[in-house]
Amino acid sequence: MEQTAGRRWSRRAALAALTGAVALAGLAAPAHAEDKIVLGALRFTSHAPSFIAYERGYFKDEGLDVELKFFQAAQPIAVAIASGDVDFGVTALTGGFYSLADKGAVKVVGGLYAEKPGVPGMAIMASNQAWEAGLKSPADLKGHSWAMTQQGSSFHYVAGQIAAKYGFDLSDIALKPLQKVPAMIAAVKSGQVDAMAMVPHVAVPLEKAGAARIIGWVRDLGPWQVTTIFTSTGNVEKHRDLVERFLKAYEKGIADYRAAFLDPKADPAKKQAIVEIIHKYVYADKPLEAAAPSIEAGAVYMTEGAALDIADIAKQLAWFQKHGLAPESLTLDKMVDTSFVATTK
Amino acid sequence: MDLRLRGITHFYGDLEVLRDVDFGVEAGQIVCLIGPSGCGKSTLLRLLGGLERPAHGEILQLGAPPAGSLNPLTYVFQDFALLPWRTAAGNVSLVLEDHPLSRRERSEIVADVLARTKLSEFAQVLPRQLSGGMKQRVAIARALAVRPACLLMDEPLSALDSQTRELLLDDLVELWLRERFTACYVTHNLAEAVRLGHKVVVLSRRPGRIREIVEIDMPLEQRKHALAELQEQQSRLWELMREEAMAADRELADV
Amino acid sequence: MSDEALAERGAAGAAAPVARPVPFRGGGFAPRPMRLVGLVLFLVLLGLWELGSRTGWIGPLVLPAPTAVFEAFRQLVVSGQIWLHLGASLQRLLLGWFGGTLLGLLVGLAAGLFSMARAGVVPLVAALFPIPKIALLPLFIIWFGIGEESKVATILFGTFFPTVIAVYGGVDNVDRNLIRMGQSFGLSWLSIVRKIVLPGALPAILSGFRISAAIAIILLVAAEMIGAEYGIGAYILLAGNLMATDQLIAGVAILSMLGLAVSWLLGRAERYFLRWR
Repeated sequence: MEQTAGRRWSRRAALAALTGAVALAGLAAPAHAEDKIVLGALRFTSHAPSFIAYERGYFKDEGLDVELKFFQAAQPIAVAIASGDVDFGVTALTGGFYSLADKGAVKVVGGLYAEKPGVPGMAIMASNQAWEAGLKSPADLKGHSWAMTQQGSSFHYVAGQIAAKYGFDLSDIALKPLQKVPAMIAAVKSGQVDAMAMVPHVAVPLEKAGAARIIGWVRDLGPWQVTTIFTSTGNVEKHRDLVERFLKAYEKGIADYRAAFLDPKADPAKKQAIVEIIHKYVYADKPLEAAAPSIEAGAVYMTEGAALDIADIAKQLAWFQKHGLAPESLTLDKMVDTSFVATTK
Repeated sequence: MDLRLRGITHFYGDLEVLRDVDFGVEAGQIVCLIGPSGCGKSTLLRLLGGLERPAHGEILQLGAPPAGSLNPLTYVFQDFALLPWRTAAGNVSLVLEDHPLSRRERSEIVADVLARTKLSEFAQVLPRQLSGGMKQRVAIARALAVRPACLLMDEPLSALDSQTRELLLDDLVELWLRERFTACYVTHNLAEAVRLGHKVVVLSRRPGRIREIVEIDMPLEQRKHALAELQEQQSRLWELMREEAMAADRELADV
Repeated sequence: MSDEALAERGAAGAAAPVARPVPFRGGGFAPRPMRLVGLVLFLVLLGLWELGSRTGWIGPLVLPAPTAVFEAFRQLVVSGQIWLHLGASLQRLLLGWFGGTLLGLLVGLAAGLFSMARAGVVPLVAALFPIPKIALLPLFIIWFGIGEESKVATILFGTFFPTVIAVYGGVDNVDRNLIRMGQSFGLSWLSIVRKIVLPGALPAILSGFRISAAIAIILLVAAEMIGAEYGIGAYILLAGNLMATDQLIAGVAILSMLGLAVSWLLGRAERYFLRWR
């Protein structure tokens, strides 16, 4: 597969040139081979549809030969797509992503994890010390410190949404960039930072262990399209068919996931099968019995058919631009291609 | 103050370096120690100054050091041992700074010894700018500054070229004539020994024992002009040492 | 043989030897200071880079143009942010470096002078020096909090170990004859340490400072990972996270200028303190 258009200089381009030379030498590939694509993933339950579609052969059904490539953080996936090493990925809309989209490297093609009232999702936590001092709900956050990985991260955005909802200025929260999630947890556990947002399968055990308090839920702040499916601009422009097939397969993975985790009347056997698939990739170092509760607790809401909440994405972009975390020149059209999936408003 | 060595025997590990050495250094005399290389001359000097302790025997100071002596037993080293970061005056001053002297007294002493060693105009010069001979003059000035009862000189001229050595030898004679200092002077150079020594102690090869003690009666001031007679003395010493030196030369360095 | 004699023989004809200069075979292997070459090379590379960016041969995603980097730098200066960043970073650097250096001097000196201290310190330093301080960041948060303390501590730890090694190595290399001289003149232990051992170890200590200062700058980015609002390291981290490569390179250039400034200052210090060499 050739997908380097729009970039003049990349390893993939050099490789393609090389492959071309080999093909000329009489070693051309068979005409109806499966398209090889690389899917960037994190070992998180929020990437579960990737694993399900892969394990259940949904990609194969669409004639896609998918290679899963694992990363430590979401941002490098976006960079890898920009550099042409990876074709598809799932990420939250962060400052880095906006910048790459503005440079014309990546494009959102579908939605995935979303927060909205009435579905499982991220918790807002306070340290024990802050809780005792009166931080009992997100509305009290004014004047407190907030742990996040970095400016322009989803955690930063949550703080902004809290401030907006409860009518105070973001500058009234002391933002503490700590780079890594474990550092955030350590800082809140030891009471050095007052509050943070945290995924449910970490938040709930933390509260059970008495290490911190859950004071609210992100979903109550309003609908939020947290993660999106994205690919390179080259794929969107030159290989629409490939993107469509990918999304078709991916939607099947989402459907399986929803059936197992979001349907209260889910068949336990079906659920177990999905947990087993996810366990191959997440918490693989733990036995299944130990991993299963964490996997189930980590369930988040995924939109049906990878539908995209375009209104919320516009809101997010505006917020990031307002805070100088996204380029002014970036427009919604440049960043999102809405022609692949349904959009909600 | 005299020094007296009695039955000095010394070992380095199992290696016997000195055996039953016995001689004295009388006040106002220069005693030269000669012997083949590795015979323990320098070790003997270190024992004399108290930098090492002999395995057997004793080293005695007879009588009190002269009043005002700050460091009765004072070394002059072959490699000068000057602090490169201090000027000539600073190097002299170093050995006075631990004594209860006022700043003025100290600078007077420094100026005095530098004058006596003809270094006054080099007081503010760093060692790296000085020739080898000048460096050794600074070292001698430093030794004189503490008014020693006995100078312990460890081949002080060996690191110098022969012309400089000749000049400094004359200076040392002149200095002795003025000051009548006491010294134990280790050398492997027989010409130096007969020019400076009132007494020449000849050591055998390792383990060093006393082969002979040669007294030279001729006054120091006459020696420069009596080279023929000195040559005779030197030949005699060489006869004493020759076989020892040859045997020592054939020994394996590392036992 | 004089020239005339040679000329005579030449004139005499017969077997006149051909006179020619002895071929020169020396030269080279003697580096001369050529200040301008480095600058010219730097400017040429910069020019090529700009040209590559302008023609599109180097995509903006791969590397921002030098003018874009300069613009990012200008923005920093115009907005006054640079002083906030520099001020925060310099304060951390100075505190951390001075603390690490002071402790390193004391411990290194102890290791150089006392066998007991050496037996304890040397293996400990060998074990702890190679630990990447970044790996300890989560612990540092617990120990020192997310305020200035943990940032200063990161730099302090980073500079402490190389200083210890430089100092005790320097003490080891002090000419033993000088120490023996001091003893033979009856100098006190303290005088020997102050006037002979310390100045003698100074060259090694100063070159140790060069290394520890470089390490301090390297660790700045790591130190400012934890809860830093301002600082060159925090600026670089944020630029990296936002994929703002122009700001990223501007930040890195500031670090490298900081390195040059420190190196220049230490060079001055060396020339002053080691003028006896």
